[in-house]
Amino acid sequence: MTGDVDARGVRLQFRLRGDQKVIVLSEARLEQLRRIRHTIWNEPFARRTWSELLFFVLSVLLAAAGMAFIALTMFAGIALAVTFIGLVIIAGSLRGARGIGGFHRALARNLLDEHIQEPEPFVARPGFFGWLQSALRDPIGWRSVAYSLLKMPLAVFGVWFALSVWVDAFFCLTYPLWGDGALRPPEYGFVVNAFSPGYLSAGTSGFFHSVFIFVTGVILVFLAPWPMRAVVYVDRRLMRLLLAPDAMTARVRSLEHARAQTLDTSAATLRRIERDLHDGTQAQLVAVAMRLGQVKEKLAAERDRLDLDQVRQLVDDAHKGAKEAIVELRDLARGIHPPALDIGLEGALSTLAARSTVPTDVTVALTDRPTPAIESIAYFCVAELMANIVQHAHASRASISCAQQGQWLRLVVRDDGQGGAHPALVGSASSGLSGLTDRVHAVDGRLHITSPPGGPTVVTVDLPLHA
Amino acid sequence: MTDSIRVAIAEDSGVLRDGLVQLLTDRGFEITAAVSESEGLRASVQGDCPDVAVIDIRMPPTFTDEGLRAAIDLRRRHPGLGILLFSQYVETRYAADLLADDAAGIGYLLKDRVADTSDFVEALVRVASGGTALDPEVVTQLLGASRRTDSISRLSAREREVLSLMAEGRSNAAIATTLVVSEGAVEKHVANIFTKLDLPVSQSDHRRVLAVLRFLDS
Repeated sequence: MTGDVDARGVRLQFRLRGDQKVIVLSEARLEQLRRIRHTIWNEPFARRTWSELLFFVLSVLLAAAGMAFIALTMFAGIALAVTFIGLVIIAGSLRGARGIGGFHRALARNLLDEHIQEPEPFVARPGFFGWLQSALRDPIGWRSVAYSLLKMPLAVFGVWFALSVWVDAFFCLTYPLWGDGALRPPEYGFVVNAFSPGYLSAGTSGFFHSVFIFVTGVILVFLAPWPMRAVVYVDRRLMRLLLAPDAMTARVRSLEHARAQTLDTSAATLRRIERDLHDGTQAQLVAVAMRLGQVKEKLAAERDRLDLDQVRQLVDDAHKGAKEAIVELRDLARGIHPPALDIGLEGALSTLAARSTVPTDVTVALTDRPTPAIESIAYFCVAELMANIVQHAHASRASISCAQQGQWLRLVVRDDGQGGAHPALVGSASSGLSGLTDRVHAVDGRLHITSPPGGPTVVTVDLPLHA
Repeated sequence: MTDSIRVAIAEDSGVLRDGLVQLLTDRGFEITAAVSESEGLRASVQGDCPDVAVIDIRMPPTFTDEGLRAAIDLRRRHPGLGILLFSQYVETRYAADLLADDAAGIGYLLKDRVADTSDFVEALVRVASGGTALDPEVVTQLLGASRRTDSISRLSAREREVLSLMAEGRSNAAIATTLVVSEGAVEKHVANIFTKLDLPVSQSDHRRVLAVLRFLDS
């Protein structure tokens, strides 16, 4: 007969053998136990264990040296704070603390494989006073000081709680080599004391006593990795909290990145406009002026030597050139700011759809009007996507939908073409899809493309309504 | 008068290239090549040996100073070839690069100058026959940027006009026509300028240009 009994939340199987219940462990449970046993047996020999021990010892030494430096300079600085020199010393102390933080990060990286993000390098304003101000306000410096301060109690606790076990283990294991009845391992740290005071002094001297202490040492070696792991775990959290750039700094960094991209994009846009003007309209107008110049000179010639047909041809060319220049200028102006946007996104998108050679449906459902910048980004996204559809997708239909979701505007551009669109494949870095991605990111928006080979391609753009 | 001058054109804008070909053919020049980038120009100069090359500074693929580099290169390989650089903007540095060792057979004009066809053709003829043609805009910039303001301020207004025209590469006769004075008067002004600026007197027009430009640029 068999059945189940729930023991401490773990369902155990049992079988009745006569009157006795014999518990049969499930295969999964057995596997779990096997793994735990394996871990306990192997942990003293694991690389991680020894790295953590080495990290703890080195980082405590480093923290002690660092704290000595910080304490000394800070006290000196505060004592002299009424004079100018005090501020300089505090600033120096903060710069030093930043460096110490860097050492801690390097230690964690090399020994714990804990990759804590480097904060941005210290940037001083120009001049000595600029340096002083920057150093005193450096949040990384102050956070490093905070880490050093908090590391102190952690180090003291770690020495008592974790390092002591290793020390005890070392003395107990080596006891047979040096020990005799008179000399005993130091009873220090929490584990040995936890057994009972005077535990290691118990018993008599002699062979069995040595064996007793050695066995204790072996037990301690298997125990020792775990308190150390706990202490190092706390230290890891502390480092991630205080030695990595904080959320605000990370945000500032991402904004700086976005700003740089925006500046690059607008510089690239200006360059493109300049080139279009230079190669198109300006060249066109120079040609027109050149022809008119020729006409002027020909008309100034003697009446009987005047070749009217040639003059007519020149005027014709000039006229045609002037009209072409007007068209180019209009296209260029529309590329800078589409006039249709002035009446709103719906009208502008309808115009875009109407101009496309691929039949396109437009649905716009907005209750609030987005800010002009967002409207412009949305418009150019759709314009670029529609251009891609016409050029690359081989689509027979497309649709544009623009809907409001709370404070977000969701644009979906869909086509039934061949698919396979990718930001890296379509367009160049300054224009095209990747340029769009930059523009969308600059306002904290998102651009998502699904375009499996064979299609359909769906591009979703989320933009905040107000930026 | 100009039937024998053979011209190669490198200009990436189609309308302008066609316009130039039409204008120059009409004026009796022989067009050996009309290309849109510098590689084609190099090949055609090698093959056709034109007298002068009209080169747009900004051409593909870099759209920076492609034409200028081609010009400097062509100059080195074909010392007799006249070069007329043609640009939408005036960059004094480009002029300095081009005129680094010799001003003979060098021109640097704004594209706008083709609107005054006669002046343009005249400049092209001058460059083809070993003279110099610098855009008035280039000269103005050089005069404006020059640190020799005290020396220049010693010149009379008329002398300054003559200096500018001289720097553009014009001969005494041409200067006389422009300013509506006698050639003798121009010669007197030129002599005064050279004395006041303490420049060595040179006979040929293009050496004169170089002397003046060196003075302004130093």
